[in-house]
Formats: sequence, C-alpha cells, structure tokens
Amino acid sequence: MLKLHDLSKIYRTDEVETVALDTVNIEIEAGEFVAIMGPSGCGKSTLLNIIGMLDSPTSGAYLFLDEDVSGYSESQLSNIRKHNIGFIFQSFNLIDELTVAENIELALLYHNIPASERKSRVATIMDKVGIAHRAKHMPSQLSGGQQQRVAVARAVVGNQGLILADEPTGNLDSAHGQEVMEMLQGLNDEGTTIVMVTHSPAHSDYARRTINLFDGHVVTENLRATG
Amino acid sequence: MFNNYVLIAWRQILKNKLYAAINIAGLVVGLAVYIFGSLLVNYERSHDMFYDNSGRIFTAGSVFSASANIGVSETVGIYTAIAPFVISDIEEVEQVARTVHREFLISIEDDHYYEKIKFTDPALLKIFNLDYIEGDESALENPLGILLTQSVATKFFGETAALGRTLTLDHDVTLSVTAVVRDLPANTHFSSTILGGGGFKVVAPLAALNRASDYDLAGNFNNLSGGDFTYMLLPATRSREWLQAQMDGVYESHFPEDTREFITGFKVRPLVEANTILWDAIGMPVLDSVRVLALLVLVVAIVNYTNLATAQSLGRAREVGLRKTMGASRGQLLIQFLVESLCITTISMLIALAVLETAVPLFNSFVDRALTIDYLVTLPWLFLTTIAVGLIAGAYPAYLITRASPIEAIREGGTRGAKGNFFRSMMLGLQFSISIFMLAMVMIVYFQNEKIEDAANIYPKSQIISLQRLEIESIQARLPTLRNELKNLAAVEQVAYSSQLPYLQNNSSFGAGRVNGDKSGAFNLTEIFIDEHFIDTYNIPILLGRNLTTAIGNDTVVKGVLDANVIVNEMALSKLGFNSPGEALNQVFYDFPDEREPRTYKIVGVTHDQNFMGFHNSIKPTVFLMMPENLNYASIRVRGADLAQTLTEVEQVWNEIIPDYPMQSEFLDETFADVFAIYGAMTQVLGGFAFVALMLSLIGLFGLAAFMAESRTREIGIRKVMGASINQIVRMLIWRFSQPVMWALLIALPGAYFASSAYLNFFADRLQAPVGIVLGAGVMSVVLAWVIVALHAVKIASANPIQALRYE
Repeated sequence: MLKLHDLSKIYRTDEVETVALDTVNIEIEAGEFVAIMGPSGCGKSTLLNIIGMLDSPTSGAYLFLDEDVSGYSESQLSNIRKHNIGFIFQSFNLIDELTVAENIELALLYHNIPASERKSRVATIMDKVGIAHRAKHMPSQLSGGQQQRVAVARAVVGNQGLILADEPTGNLDSAHGQEVMEMLQGLNDEGTTIVMVTHSPAHSDYARRTINLFDGHVVTENLRATG
Repeated sequence: MFNNYVLIAWRQILKNKLYAAINIAGLVVGLAVYIFGSLLVNYERSHDMFYDNSGRIFTAGSVFSASANIGVSETVGIYTAIAPFVISDIEEVEQVARTVHREFLISIEDDHYYEKIKFTDPALLKIFNLDYIEGDESALENPLGILLTQSVATKFFGETAALGRTLTLDHDVTLSVTAVVRDLPANTHFSSTILGGGGFKVVAPLAALNRASDYDLAGNFNNLSGGDFTYMLLPATRSREWLQAQMDGVYESHFPEDTREFITGFKVRPLVEANTILWDAIGMPVLDSVRVLALLVLVVAIVNYTNLATAQSLGRAREVGLRKTMGASRGQLLIQFLVESLCITTISMLIALAVLETAVPLFNSFVDRALTIDYLVTLPWLFLTTIAVGLIAGAYPAYLITRASPIEAIREGGTRGAKGNFFRSMMLGLQFSISIFMLAMVMIVYFQNEKIEDAANIYPKSQIISLQRLEIESIQARLPTLRNELKNLAAVEQVAYSSQLPYLQNNSSFGAGRVNGDKSGAFNLTEIFIDEHFIDTYNIPILLGRNLTTAIGNDTVVKGVLDANVIVNEMALSKLGFNSPGEALNQVFYDFPDEREPRTYKIVGVTHDQNFMGFHNSIKPTVFLMMPENLNYASIRVRGADLAQTLTEVEQVWNEIIPDYPMQSEFLDETFADVFAIYGAMTQVLGGFAFVALMLSLIGLFGLAAFMAESRTREIGIRKVMGASINQIVRMLIWRFSQPVMWALLIALPGAYFASSAYLNFFADRLQAPVGIVLGAGVMSVVLAWVIVALHAVKIASANPIQALRYE
C-alpha cells in the first residue's frame, strides 16, 4: 500500500534544528493494522501526518500505491488524500456548527457526489456505527465515545482504503475506548488498512504489527501472531 | 481598584496592537467627523449673536407661490415699497432699514475700484451696533455720506484718516466718508458669500443711490435681489409670532393684487436664521443632512468597535472565568470591560481633537469660515460624548463576555468566536447599510453633477470671455466701436451683446398670449435681449426660420413701435398653442402691459429648448429679442488656447476705447464654476462622509474577517483534511462574510433609491437611471467586501491544516 524509504523530517527554527524523523524505512501492505508506539516527542504524529500527506518529508521517498508522491503539489496531494485516506483524531475534530449527519457528509462534500447519494451513504454508515438516532444532534450534545464514532464514520464514508488514527482513544474512558477499537477492528476485518498512533499497549494489541519509534528512529517492529 | 482597571485596559491595548489600532483609528475618524459636523452646523446656525440687539432684530422675506417656478420657495427680502407701510402700520417697530446692493465704479482721484455698495436707510446703524474707528452711528444720515470698513478704507486711502475724504460713484455722484468701522467678523450673515447682498464693506444711504441712479426712495414693487434684507428692530416684549401677524396685516392691506399670485405672503424670521435662509429656500436641508451624516459616521465607528470588541473579548473567556473563580462579581467584570472601552474612547477623543485642531484652521482658510473649538463651552459636551460613545460601544461585548458561568467560560476557551455571531452579523449589516446608502447617494449626486456639466457644454463656455457692466450709458454708446475693434484681434471669432449670460439666474419675463387683450390666456414668457451676433456666438441652432438682423427694421424692438420680430423656443411655441415650428412661423402673439398699447410679436425663428439659466430651473418658454438698450454683457468668442493672452489684448482694446471705466471680465467657464460651486461643494461634503463611512466599514470588516478567519482555523483544517481545495474554502469564507453585506444591500438600496429621488426632484433636468447607479453602488460595496475577505481567506486556506488540528 505504501512505502517509506530513508525518510527524514527536520524542523528548523532560527537556531535550533530538531530531527523528528531520521531515515525511517517502513512498508505497509494493504489490509494491515499497524500500531505506532513510542514516548511523547518521538515523531509518531509527524510520521502519521506525512503518511496522511498533511505534512511533507524533508528528504527521502514516499511511495503511495506505487506512486512517488514526495514531489507532488498541494492540490495533487489533496486529491489522493480525499479518495484514499480517512483521518481520526484524538480530539475528534468535528465542526461544532454542523449536525452529526452534516459532519459525516463533509467527507463526501468535496467528492462531486450527488446529494441524494451522499444522503444514502451517510445514512448507511450511521447505521453501521450505531449513531443514526443522533443524526440531527450537534456534536456538543454527544458523549465523547459517540463523537469519536461520528469521526470514524466520517473517516470511512468515502470508502477510503487507509485510515490514519492519531490516538483515537486518548480522550475516551476505557469502555468507550474499547468500543472504538472494536469498530476499527471490524473495519480492518473488512479490508481497510489502518495505521494508528497510540500510547496504550492494550489498544496496540488490536494491531497485527507494532512499530516502536524512539527519537525519530524505528527501534523495533513486532509482529503479533494472528490468532 | 479603578487604577487596576485602567492598567488592565492599557495592557490589553498593548497586547492586541492591531485590533486596538483599528478600534482607535475607527473611533478617531468617527468622533472627528461627528464633532466637526456639529461644529460646522452650530457655527452656521449661530451667526449674528454678537450684536447688542440680536434677539430683537427680525427680517421679513417673501414666500413664492409654487407656480412661480423659480427654483426657490422664498427669498430673504421684501419689496422696498413695503418698509414705509411697516413704519406707518406697526407703531411698535422701533426701527426699519431696507438694504439694496448695487455695484459701482468708485473713483478716488485716478484710482478706480468696482465695489458692491450696500445702500440702506440710516436706521441700519441704530439696529446693528458696529465698532466705529472714525465717525459714529449717525454716519448715514448725511445723504451724501458713506461708511467704509477698515480694510476698504485702507485700500482706498492708505493708512491715513479717511473721515471727510471724498470719492465718486460712476464719475457722477461725489460722497464723503462719514464713518470707518472695524471689519465685520466672519460669523455674521453680512459676510456670507452665498447669500449675496454684496457684503458689508461699503455702506451708503439710499439717498445716495437716489442721486446716482434715480432710485425712488419710496421703494418699488419690482425688484427682489438675493441678499437684500429688510431689518426690523422690535421692543424686547414683542415676539416673532406677533410680528408675523402684523406683517400678514401689512400684506393684506398693501400688497398689490396682481402680484399676490406670485408672492403669497411674508415670512418673519429672527436675525439668527438670516444666515441659513437660503437652504430652506432651495428646499435642501443641507445643514440637517450634515448633522445626520456626521452622526451616521459616528454610529458606523461605534458599531465597528462593538463588533471587533465582541469578537476579541470572547477570546478572553478564560480570563473572565478565572476572575470569577477568584471571586469577581459580574458587576466588577462589567465595569472592567466598560473601563476598557472608555479608555479606548478617551484616547480616540484626544486624538480626534488633535486632528481637529489641525484640520479646522485649514478648513477655515479654505472656505472662509471662522470655526473654533471653544473648549470652555464644549467641554461638557465633549465629555458626555466620550462617555456615551464608550458605554454604548462597550456595552454589548461586556454583557456577552461576563454572562457565562466560570466553569463554562474556562472550558469554552477553545470555541471562542462562536457566540454573538448573529449579533456581529447584524452589526456588520448595519454598518454596510449605512455605507452603501451613503455611497449610492454620493454616486447619484456625482452623476447628476456630471449631467449638469454636460448640459452646460451645449455652449462653448471654454471659448467665451464675457465683459460685464456695460449698462452704463456712456459705455453703451461706445459698444459698436468696441465690437469692431475687438473683431480686429486675430484671436477673436465673434463678439455679441446680450442682457444675460448662460448659467445666470434671470427672472425677467412678461405675460404673452395669442389673443390680443385676452389677459386670461397669458403665460409667463422669459425674455432674453440679444444682438444679431448672439445666436451665432453661442451656437444656438435655429430649427426653422432665420436669425434676427439689424437689416430688417422690425427685428429691433424700439420704444413706441408696436411691431417686433422675435425668435422663440419650442416650449414657447407649444405654450402659444402651435403644434409645429412650421405652423408658428410668421404668426404673431401679444403682450399685455398696463402702461402702453400691446405690442405685436411676429415669430421669425424657432430654436430648440435649451436650459439657458441655472440648473435647478426647468427650461422655460423663452423669447429672444433685439433691444439695444438692455445689453449689459458682451460675449467674446475666441479661438486658440491662450485665453490669458487674448484677455490681455481685449483689455488693451477696452482701455483705448473706454479708458474711464476699468474692464470687468470673466471667462464663461468661471461664471459656470461660480454657479456650480454649491453643487460641487455638496458632492465633496457628501463624498467625504461616504468615503469615511465606507472606509470605516471596510476596516471593520477587515478586522472582523481577520479575527473570524483566525478563530475558524480548526474548521478550515478539518475541511482541508476532508479534501476541500483552497478555492472551495476561500469561496465558503467569502460567502459567509458576504451574507451580512447582502442583507445590508436589501436595506440600503431601496433607502438610497428613495432618498436619491427626493434629491433629484430638485433638478429640472435630472438623471434618468438612478436605479442603475444605486445598484452600481451596491455592486461596488460587495466587491470591495469580497476583496477584503478574500485577502484573509486565501491566507488562512493556504495554511497547513496540521497546525490547526494537532494539539488542542
């Protein structure tokens, strides 16, 4: 699905140079469920953002579906992104002024899909994540778990093959966290590739592979026996 | 505690320099414009307060009937024949003085000056106390006396004493100086340049006018000139209403029956109104408009402040929450926020006053006014204005921000900007309503002025030099010679004499009709006296028939001869009942004078309808006739561009032929510019207000857009992650900010349409497409608003979404 080759990311301010990622080599196959772990500041989120094409590497190659996207323009990236990648954030990032249904629809809004089809796809996905009864509610009227379910629905409603989740359970209590993890698990079972940043070893257990980062380096990769 | 509030306010200003600067700049402009407008209006409305008798002096004017069709509803004076009736009928009136202004050539030995002289009854000096340097208030009781102001006396006689020195009027009547007074200040109606009346520089008794030009001391029912007042001094016990009733009685008993149709009554006014009568008379509430516009600008500035402060203060919800947690009451917090807005208003007021201290003297020297900011008098008003503006501007943001419970306030720190959205949109809409309304009005006024200027170009005004004051008998005799000599100049194409120049107001007319002796079928026919060259000089097209010529006897109107050939315009034709020029040619009509046999006028030529006179006059039925004794003006049409050189040559010719009178000349362009000045000034004033209001609105929108765009970075980030392109985001932001502007259009455009119709009604020849112009103003405002918002939107939309989303 995607391949990072000798990828580095360096942040420069006036005098300080911070190496966030240092010659990272990672390959992720379609259908994988990968967890990225590591202490704060190790470069997890930077890695996820680069994979999500929200940020660009300083050097190295990034092949997405066998295309080298490192030199692509903003609008080319945006195009690849909206058709292939869904995002889930720790803080949900729903728009406060839009209803649940409208928030989910947002992911289809920029795809040139007719309104009627958008509505039916939103309805289907809301059923699937069990949020249909809250369709007309505003995000502020929902619990955290419900909000994150809306965010998951939004991430997959466009049939994205890759979901990038940045600490999706970080703001949730354990029961709700588990709920969300099971939902991701279900999606993975249906063939969606998932890359997730997490602090929680319990949640990383849902992944088949765990990548441990430290100071911008990949230190270990653990494969979990399927079973 | 209070110091603490001020300190916090000051730190807030320092912390948010951009918003503070926008806020202060807006309020400075708003306050400066408002104070200036108020000063100006108060100044114009408080003239003549310094005379000892100010409260007891009244004037009487004449009210015209609507059918008089002369563009004004009243004039400042009454016929000079009325004053004797006032003296005989109203015993309690202590003094009555008429004024009549005329221009004369004043000669002191070999020095000649054209001066406007105010001729008056001696009582004038009893009514108005002046500051005498030489002589006293009996100065005008000498029928051959003359009063000069100090500057004129210095001009005539140098620094030596003027008392007893002599001067002659038109080489004929010799007067001796009986008084010299200090120059009158600018804030008296005597100094007004728009009222006419010739100023108050040279004042002589009416008896002198009687000697110089056979003026009938009993007065007449013929002449009403702008600026010629009749003043009455009442006992302190009598009021305006009382005098009005008395004057109504004088009108009933003495006003000539046949003129009542034209003048329907007298209108008594206190002296303080004398300076502003003209605005009432032309039906344009200019001073009230200035006041309202100034207030509107201030409102826009206040709204600006409120809007920005509301948006900005929501970012301080966390601070408010903390303060509440620490035990601050809502009242204390309200005070804190109000103190902030009062601080900003005070700073703005101080800057505004500094600006005015510079601007007012400039304005004074520019337009000949004497405005001052009298702090002793205005301080309470300035203080109250500051407090009021500060409280009004700060009230809503203070209310909104202090309403939340502490926990809510702390927690909602991240969702700043969401509250008060509707209110801000409404305020923005209000601001833009005012700005668009003003912009539309300015554009209407501007295009109407353009139309007037265009209409004026039917005459070759840039090629005409006019010579004035040719009515003096000894000059009249030399006019043919003058014409011949001028024609010899290479640059001179044509020379024509006439009673009237284009653009100048003239109400000279007579009753005319098709049936001899049938006065009931008569209508007012405006008369313009010309010579045989006039039509050519001004390119007036003859539709049918021929020009007038001296070769044909009846073309010249001669006293005692009752047949005359004339040229009329099409409007006169239709008034006479002819359907076409062909039908009218060689037909006759009559006049209906009381003092002689009716004259028969034969139509030998027909011209198009042209607006010969002032621009707020409709085109009138007009007759052109040749009557040599009424030719007061020469029009010299020149070729080539060097008008100044030609003028010098013309003057040399004049000085050879008429050495005893200095030449009085004016380019017709200047004549037009003088008449046009009042309209031009209106455009400038209105344009200034509109520009300021629009700028304020745009600044407000800029600040608000900056703030809102900033507070929406998270939403924009989410949308970008969802695949929105920069374009889509910019469009979304522009659309969102345009909505209040669109609402503003709905309010402002109909308003502007109605207001502009009222304004245009003032003109006979008016713009036909005010709707298009009003819409144009709307489009302009919307586009400007879009540009402002787009500037921010592009910046925000181009930013990397990560920054907005990563860490909350």
